[in-house]
Amino acid sequence: MDLGISALNYVNGIRNGEFTVEEFVSKSLERISQVDKKLHAFLRVNDLAIKKAKEIDTKIKSNQDVGKCFGMPVSVKDNMCIEGSKTTCASKVLENFIAPYTSTVITKLDSEDAIIIGKTNLDEFAMGLSTEFSAYGPSRNPWNTDYVPGGSSGGSGVSVSANECIASLGSDTGGSIRNPASFCSVVGLKPTYGLVSRYGLVSYANSIEQIGPMTKTVKDSAFLLNIISGIDSNDNTTIDNKNQDYLNDIDVGISGKKIGIVSEMTNSDGLSADVLNATNESVKTFEKLGANCEQISLQMVPYTVAAYYTITSTEAGSNLARFDNIRYGYDFDSAGFEFNSYISQARSKLGPEVIRRMILGGFVPSAGHAGKYFLKALKVKSKLIAEINHVFEKFDFLISPTVPIQPFKFGEKIQDPVSFMMIDFNTVTANLTGIPAISVPYKITNGLPIGIQIMANRLEERSLLQAAYALEKTVNLPEVPSL
Amino acid sequence: MTKIGLEIHCQLTKLESKLFCSCKADYREFEPNTNICPVCMGIPGSLPLLNKSAVEKATLIAMALDCNTPDKIAFFRKNYFYPDLPKNFQITQLNVYGNTSIGWSGKIKVEDKEIRIRRIQLEEDPGRIIYEGATEKTKLTLVDYNRAGTPLVEIVTEPDFETPHQVREFLNILSDLIENLNVSDPGLEGAMRADANVSIEGGSKVEIKNIGSFHDLEKAVHFEITRQESLAERKIEIIQETRHWDDGRKITVSSRTKEEEAEYRYHLEADIPWIRISDNIKNELQTRMPESISSKKERYISKYDITPQVADILASDRYFSELFEKANNEVNAKHIANMITTDIMGLLDTREKRELSKLNAKHLSDLVEYITSNKITRASAKLALDEIIKNGQPLSQVIVDLDLGNVSDESALFEIIIQVLNEETKAVENAKQNPEIINFLVGKVMQKTHGKADPELTLTLLKQNLGIV
Amino acid sequence: MENLVSEEEISEVAKLMKIQLEDHSDHITRVQKMLEYFDILDSANVESEEITVQETDLDKLRNDKYNPYGKSLLKFLKNYQGKYVKAPKLN
Repeated sequence: MDLGISALNYVNGIRNGEFTVEEFVSKSLERISQVDKKLHAFLRVNDLAIKKAKEIDTKIKSNQDVGKCFGMPVSVKDNMCIEGSKTTCASKVLENFIAPYTSTVITKLDSEDAIIIGKTNLDEFAMGLSTEFSAYGPSRNPWNTDYVPGGSSGGSGVSVSANECIASLGSDTGGSIRNPASFCSVVGLKPTYGLVSRYGLVSYANSIEQIGPMTKTVKDSAFLLNIISGIDSNDNTTIDNKNQDYLNDIDVGISGKKIGIVSEMTNSDGLSADVLNATNESVKTFEKLGANCEQISLQMVPYTVAAYYTITSTEAGSNLARFDNIRYGYDFDSAGFEFNSYISQARSKLGPEVIRRMILGGFVPSAGHAGKYFLKALKVKSKLIAEINHVFEKFDFLISPTVPIQPFKFGEKIQDPVSFMMIDFNTVTANLTGIPAISVPYKITNGLPIGIQIMANRLEERSLLQAAYALEKTVNLPEVPSL
Repeated sequence: MTKIGLEIHCQLTKLESKLFCSCKADYREFEPNTNICPVCMGIPGSLPLLNKSAVEKATLIAMALDCNTPDKIAFFRKNYFYPDLPKNFQITQLNVYGNTSIGWSGKIKVEDKEIRIRRIQLEEDPGRIIYEGATEKTKLTLVDYNRAGTPLVEIVTEPDFETPHQVREFLNILSDLIENLNVSDPGLEGAMRADANVSIEGGSKVEIKNIGSFHDLEKAVHFEITRQESLAERKIEIIQETRHWDDGRKITVSSRTKEEEAEYRYHLEADIPWIRISDNIKNELQTRMPESISSKKERYISKYDITPQVADILASDRYFSELFEKANNEVNAKHIANMITTDIMGLLDTREKRELSKLNAKHLSDLVEYITSNKITRASAKLALDEIIKNGQPLSQVIVDLDLGNVSDESALFEIIIQVLNEETKAVENAKQNPEIINFLVGKVMQKTHGKADPELTLTLLKQNLGIV
Repeated sequence: MENLVSEEEISEVAKLMKIQLEDHSDHITRVQKMLEYFDILDSANVESEEITVQETDLDKLRNDKYNPYGKSLLKFLKNYQGKYVKAPKLN
């Protein structure tokens, strides 16, 4: 029984009786206890997992209807609510917050008999690119534990990459699924804005974020997307995708497709040499697959990082205002305190990056400054959307390396705020425009992963997954080193 | 010239559910914090779900106030920290990206003055704060979120009012209008609240908040005008500020001494897409709109020949105008109208009484029919009304049960008349000189018959007996 | 470093956001640097752009039905004597 198998192979294994759910989940839990002390992917492990596994095995044995997932162990980023269990967003401020309801995506997974094996680590409130900002300690990259796993869904990336579970749900606001996917050498998909319900996802920047799968293979991502996508009456921003099957025809290939190489995201100044090499190789690969590749320019891209941080800190400043520790949060008695000083004191438990975003978020939309910052950022977003729409009239896909650099060492990038923000340079475009984007593991250089990002037009996940699958098939990557 | 403007908040109490979730819109009967859910409590990860009927009802208000209505509406966040705001922001409307609130630039006539409506917006009510404990030390701030998320329509007027009386008139007209539209019950406690802003000639604008009732509003505005005028007389500057109404001392008190511009960081509510409101929808709403009060009044006067005063009272009251419409058959309309305004309104003067009343349109039309055909007297009718309101049986049964039928049998009546004439010898004497005294004798007969004597017949027989023409 | 947003302004904003700036200098410096970077937006040449928004139709909205939440939410919240939520003193 190989913990490194894909979700689809797991399902086959269960159906063929090669192993039971209990056996596999047991082994996964064992794996977690072996490696997670070092990796710290998980904030909490589900101690009812075995019980659920047994129940599913019983269902299978007695020929009852079993959900598509057949008990596969899936981890979930700890910013998604599950009823009766802690949801901390990796923050001290929500140390004792027990969610009273369950996110739609998790309800969907539950109804397909997936087993949520644990909640994974993240940058506090999903604000970060390396999981170094978790208030409970960072997660470590299983390819080299001196290096960051990326973020903010770092724990999710690690849990899949280190075979602690079959798949994970992360969230992506500026690259938070794709970045750790690239850094950990797993597949990470950010769906079209509105394709997946955000009900239950603790909001950071609600106008652009999405929940998405992080998996070992592209087909697995399609499999999970089938389950979690679709219109939700609990989320007014969801779109009807008319029950598309994303696995269907995933292997048709990309012969004759037109691919745009985003020059602003692939120019040699911004990329490390190794990433540039990998990118050029991937272009050759795409061409071998029968696609026509061409350099294209998206003029607004150089402004996207500034626009992204302006918009997201505004929204974050608002979305996190509710954390005043009055209705829920952590133990801190308000007796004797005056209102304003209590709240400020309570919020002093917020981590440094969150604090900075709160300040930015108070500044950029304020009356005297909104015109220069917030309003301009919205207009950059608009112009970028127009550019993207125009480009997709001619092209089927856009490509770039997911992250301009390879994983870095802990503490290496945290010093300079501007170069830290730049790590998002290639990923924020997809968030600002709402288009789907996927990171496919492409290469391991110096023992560290490089992922290639493919983007498609809004609601074109099917063809996006076809392109990702075609690329994946050409790649033969080593196993993650033993820990 | 004195300028007064109003900001009215009206809860849409006729909705079933809150503005963004399925909790009950009318929170009044609930134990504290039992009419809440993850959405209205702003639990992390929850998302607002806009109530379709709220948009429709708010649009009706906008149309009734002659406002422009947009093709698309949008919602914004007003960010500030307060314990009654579960999310520490309020979802409301603004007009910064074009006109995106429910309505703007409307107008309404108050007596002879046209009051302009600047804008109308849809927003959520916060929760309620209760203070417990006597001393400063032990005082606790307790919050009940049952009300959080209740749909509110905010109506902002231009500072077109000139006198407190106009303000009061406007509020009455607005209450009636809103009740007539069946979007809210203004009589419910806290359903309609208003703030005012006041400036006298050459002075700054002063806002007055925390006014409990419309009655207090008139007083507060009056006080504020006086206060400003006295300052001006003494050449003291009137500071632009916010004041609150101190109901105990009946004065306005300064709330903020220095000018604090609140920073709300307004931005779009991204969890609610912009809502397209097509012309088709607007037309459909227009046809659904109930007849306006003034139109009803006109119709009552012209069609049913009801006096303007009665028509006014009737048209302005939704409950009774409905009763009137159902009960009347055009012929008896005038009588029905009079019965309602004269007898019934006084009996059903509170919401509770109306809710408990078993009186229906048939009762009413029967009553009028029985009176006009002399089957019962007006006095008996009043007794019957009481009984019907309480128990709702058909009129015919009530008459039998309470023995209210007119004594119209001539011979029976004659006997009673003879009795009275024998008892009231002095009056009989005087009646021959002073015909007015006959009414006294009629009264005596009515007494003896417990109000059931047919008054016309009684009068005729008395006159005959007394030899009066 | 001219043209940086002033420390004073940043402190004012922190107060607005109910944030205590304990580790004063580091946060302020970093925020200043980030805001300075955002100046790049000035050269984006987007003055004439309209904003882009998501839209939907009125009939897609939630129907007006009362549906009680059904579970006691109060027990998940910090509550006072099982009835109210206790807030700190207001001035």
